[in-house]
Amino acid sequence: MELMVNLMINGLATGMLIFLLAAGLTLIFGLMDVLNFAHGGLFVWGAYAGIFTYMYTESFLIGILGAIGTGALLGLITEKLIITPVYGNHIQQILITLGLMLVLQEMIKVVFGPNGVPVKTPSYLAGSWEIGDVIIIKYRLFIIVVGFVIFGIFQYMLKRTKIGLIVRAGVQDKDMAQALGIHIKQVFLYVFMVGAALAALSGMLMAPYSGVIYAEMGMEYAILGFIVVVIGGMGSFSGSLLAAILVGLAGSFMAYYVPVLSLAVNMILMAIVLIFRPQGLFTMRKERST
Amino acid sequence: MKITLQQISFFLILASLVILPFVNDSRTLIILLTQIFIFGILAMSYDILLGYTGIVSFGHAMFFGIGAYTTAVMLKQMDATLTMFLLSIVTGMFFAGMISFLVGLLTLRLKSHFFAMLTLAFSGLFLVVAEKWRSVTYGNDGFTFRAPDIFKERITFYFFVLACLAVIFIALYRFVNSPTGRILIAVRENEQRTKSLGFNTLHYKVIASVVAGIVASLAGSLYSLSLRFVNTSVLTMDITLDALLMTIIGGVGTLVGPLLGAGVIEYAQHALSGLARDYPIFERWIIFFGILYILAVLFFPKGIIGSLRMLFWKWRSRRKGNKKSPAALPHKKERFE
Repeated sequence: MELMVNLMINGLATGMLIFLLAAGLTLIFGLMDVLNFAHGGLFVWGAYAGIFTYMYTESFLIGILGAIGTGALLGLITEKLIITPVYGNHIQQILITLGLMLVLQEMIKVVFGPNGVPVKTPSYLAGSWEIGDVIIIKYRLFIIVVGFVIFGIFQYMLKRTKIGLIVRAGVQDKDMAQALGIHIKQVFLYVFMVGAALAALSGMLMAPYSGVIYAEMGMEYAILGFIVVVIGGMGSFSGSLLAAILVGLAGSFMAYYVPVLSLAVNMILMAIVLIFRPQGLFTMRKERST
Repeated sequence: MKITLQQISFFLILASLVILPFVNDSRTLIILLTQIFIFGILAMSYDILLGYTGIVSFGHAMFFGIGAYTTAVMLKQMDATLTMFLLSIVTGMFFAGMISFLVGLLTLRLKSHFFAMLTLAFSGLFLVVAEKWRSVTYGNDGFTFRAPDIFKERITFYFFVLACLAVIFIALYRFVNSPTGRILIAVRENEQRTKSLGFNTLHYKVIASVVAGIVASLAGSLYSLSLRFVNTSVLTMDITLDALLMTIIGGVGTLVGPLLGAGVIEYAQHALSGLARDYPIFERWIIFFGILYILAVLFFPKGIIGSLRMLFWKWRSRRKGNKKSPAALPHKKERFE
């Protein structure tokens, strides 16, 4: 029983981090029809910028803000320079965002050095609670709470506010939204920035969780993000939460019971979903016209 | 049979590459050229997918790695003879063909985004398997093996690789100009229309993926023999990125382009790593390639060869003086969609 609870918490925490990464990816894809292969680069820049701010200011909160700011800024530059020229051309988007990923990853090594950086959890989040035999690591709980809070905020924004209405209208039909007088390009830019900021936040929160940050982590977690987006359904926000939790839990249980399979389980999940239900498990909307 | 200008230049280049080692037998040059030829083969195979069929695969390293490991393992576990090496090439090609057939059948039905992601995931899976299966692959540390005696001399290996390159070039040239190759180009230009003309496009995309996989496996076999060492780096994303970069910079949709791209990239890598001794910034040469690559995708989507060809057409139409027929020019904004 205790084991189950521990594995659950592990899985949920990982799932939440992947969710934050995938949420940006899925929003950007749903609205702009752009699959951002550079998302992992934004993730790792968030981690590095956030952690260095945190080490400099000694405040984890300012570190988080630094990560979010960096992410949004990089998102702004990326959208303006890289994405805008290739709207509507899928192959060029794939190629160019992958190139950007490469540049971002190498820039990390130039700016922050090629070696991994060890990261300490802030003192008030370090340690764990023991309830009976169940050990709950504080930081993991913190991640889960943050994940749910962010999910709640976004769900509220998307479903209850004017901004959300515009974004949802854009996802459903770009041309119609534009005909109704919405500056859709502007919306694209903001959504891209928000998505990039979420990726950066995810990277920042991941840093104390994994204990070390390194340039290649971007690609590793980006792949998990892609898997979640595919399983959850491209463009579906709540779908990606469910899928992220599924991937997180599958990973943590497999790592305990069948360690050999733990790295492959996500790929297998994705392959199965893509082959039998390419539109994703949790999509309610009608199939995207292809 | 009429001999064309292209055939003449092909034989001239081939002849000069055959003569070259006798004129200048510098060891670095021979090794560099061998490397260029190997990556040229890889980049050509990648262009069958990207340039001719219009599919972006991020899993090409998988087939390269299959070839590299098959050769390395067979030469290590059994004896290092020429027969064994040739046998390992064929075995590697067979495995690569089988796997690209299965993966292609499963994934090529999907749209470009999903396909790119799934190939990325599959090659990630192969990388993990190679890292974990230590009894055979020795994981990330890799292992060395003995080359067949005949390839102890760099020169003989150079000629062997050159011969492979020439054969593959001619074979792929015939392939892309065959009726099947024409249909691949039709798939690239407009898949829906090709489908409605009655072609089973999935069928042709799988053929392209199998051909590309088999040729990539050959490149992998040659690569591991050229180093006499193999580790998991042959399965990493870097190999795919190299192939991608060479194809884009050289020129998509041609066979000469990737070869030229391989030459440019390999030479630049060589030159930049020389510079890195004086200027540490050049150790991160990937950044320059990344920026170059982004600029190429944005401004020269046809690469060196494509841009040259465009200039040539412009020049020819101007010389003929028929400025009134711009239809003869390829469309300027044409991009590989």
